[in-house]
Amino acid sequence: MTKALITGITGQDGSYLAELLLKKGYEVFGLVRRSSSFNTGRIDHIYRDSHDPETRLRLVYGDLNDASSLNHMLRTIRPDEIYNLGAQSHVRVSFDVPEYTAEVTGLGCLRILEAIRESGLNCKFYQASSSELYGKVVEVPQKETTPFYPRSPYACAKAFAYYITVNYRESYGTFATNGILFNHESPRRGETFVTRKITRGIANIKFGLDDKLYLGNLDAKRDWGFAGDYVEGMWMMMQQAEPDDYVLATGETHSVREFLDLAFDYAGLDWKKHVEIDPRYFRPAEVDLLLGDSTKARKKLGWQPRVSFPELVRMMVDADLELIRARVHGTGASTRPVRAD
Amino acid sequence: MTKALITGITGQDGSYLAEFLLAKGYEVYGLVRRSSSFNRGRIEHIREDERAEKTRFRLVYGDLNDASSLNHVLRTFQPNEIYNLGAQSHVRVSFDIPEYTAEVTGVGCLRILEAIRESGLNCKFYQASSSELYGKVVETPQKETTPFYPRSPYACAKAFAFYSTVNYRESYGTYAVNGILFNHESPRRGETFVTRKITRSVANIKQGLDDKLYLGNLDAKRDWGYAGDYIEGMWMMMQQPEPDDYVLATGETHSVREFVELAFDYAGLDWRKHVEIDPRYFRPAEVDLLLGDATKARTRLGWEPKVTFKELVRMMVDADIELVRTKVHGTGIPGPA
Repeated sequence: MTKALITGITGQDGSYLAELLLKKGYEVFGLVRRSSSFNTGRIDHIYRDSHDPETRLRLVYGDLNDASSLNHMLRTIRPDEIYNLGAQSHVRVSFDVPEYTAEVTGLGCLRILEAIRESGLNCKFYQASSSELYGKVVEVPQKETTPFYPRSPYACAKAFAYYITVNYRESYGTFATNGILFNHESPRRGETFVTRKITRGIANIKFGLDDKLYLGNLDAKRDWGFAGDYVEGMWMMMQQAEPDDYVLATGETHSVREFLDLAFDYAGLDWKKHVEIDPRYFRPAEVDLLLGDSTKARKKLGWQPRVSFPELVRMMVDADLELIRARVHGTGASTRPVRAD
Repeated sequence: MTKALITGITGQDGSYLAEFLLAKGYEVYGLVRRSSSFNRGRIEHIREDERAEKTRFRLVYGDLNDASSLNHVLRTFQPNEIYNLGAQSHVRVSFDIPEYTAEVTGVGCLRILEAIRESGLNCKFYQASSSELYGKVVETPQKETTPFYPRSPYACAKAFAFYSTVNYRESYGTYAVNGILFNHESPRRGETFVTRKITRSVANIKQGLDDKLYLGNLDAKRDWGYAGDYIEGMWMMMQQPEPDDYVLATGETHSVREFVELAFDYAGLDWRKHVEIDPRYFRPAEVDLLLGDATKARTRLGWEPKVTFKELVRMMVDADIELVRTKVHGTGIPGPA
């Protein structure tokens, strides 16, 4: 049975990827940090008790900042594929905790690559690179050959991780790939990311739990796809004969304002009555127009995004409406508005 | 009095920069790591000189991996200019200790930038960026706009530091500059760097203390200048009204083989009789042809390298021959240096 290790398994992409790999018959190991708060909400539906002999999903304790834990994991699990999705993944927050972000998001990747080299395992490695590398874009659309111009501590750390992945491939022949993924969203997107914040806000407003939604720069333009489509692309990159770097993107760009229009319209609301601008949410350095060209992935991997932008928006609004409805009517839990910063 | 803080003050560039700034009337603080071994050979003469007058030169303990020590140093000394020359600076060694290199060479820079921001000081910052950023070069010659292709853990860490420096400049208006310096050598170059290894060995062979010199890739081509000239460029960058990034380079490229030929010839030796290739010294990923275009620095800063390649080689051979001679005859210490 093929064994995969996923860092960041409790996140959006990790949970979709775990589902995909389990469906493909993999044994899946997920690296989790110990915390006294439960944070496995996104994978609870696929998790079975570890005493169940049928279980093919296991969570193991470790940390991207703890090289010994990574060495230990590689030695005991001996994975065939490692997907490094773990990171301090929030761009705005990276300005508040730049050093921590550099450690986890940047050096974390290096620690895994070193652990692979040290173990001597013949193990493939996927690095979750990001369209944020292009930042203050040098050309439009952005593809694999576009020079980087990172504009946040998060993006600087991702640049380090990208380069070091290429370096291990070229220096040691490690099967190491970079997936340069443009924004990809879903009902499991973290609640402080703008798309989810909007759809969550709509659900709260719709149920009368809240009236206002505070946002930053409405003119920021992003290339937004559906996370479920993108994890399939990750897996495809790892099944190639030779490791390489690929951009995954829809090739369409939309502003935050367009996302708002679509989402509020769909819920029968007028966003102009509810949305307020809060300068706290502006980034110190903004990334203007992200638009990806994934020709290489389409040709070499046969990858294709399936969910369109309007479908994505509706999927997210529907899911959040359902979530709040269950909270309000179903379980009778607190009706406190769920508004995250 | 202008106050400067230099990290990496015990290194080649740090020692030249300290001399230069003291001559300009600065008060100079150097960050040093505590070590039980003596590692201040390059600045000992400055400390001697400074003892006479009211000292304008001071070493303080700290570490680029220790953010608290950086905060403390900034708060206590309130420098006007910080030159971040500290790093695990050896490319080949960075393949052996990549994580440590990333911490010191990469995140170390970020820790200083954060400390400056946190302190609220109006303090200028110089980041020692490197031509190794260009690695597997995308265009020749390389200038400020050339895309990076780092080929070692060292270069990846330097890329992180470069980007972070630009990011703090653009995000917070920090006066932060990158000097992208091509190779620069001197008699104070570390003894494991190829140029110094050659001249050191020439001196040993000349004095009959050694017979062989083991080298890696003789075909590697570099743009080699004199460290003393480059220090001045760093300072010039910090005196501009607006912070920016500049390449410093000679615009000439020479192979390791050419350096070997010149150095051995000058000492009256035939390198073919002494040089052996040891594959241990090959890098896992090599950087092929580094050649810098310093037009921007020449035009905007008025910077110009003064020492030629040939003069540099001779200066280094002369210094090492003198050093070994003192050791052999002067102190009576036996054996190869």
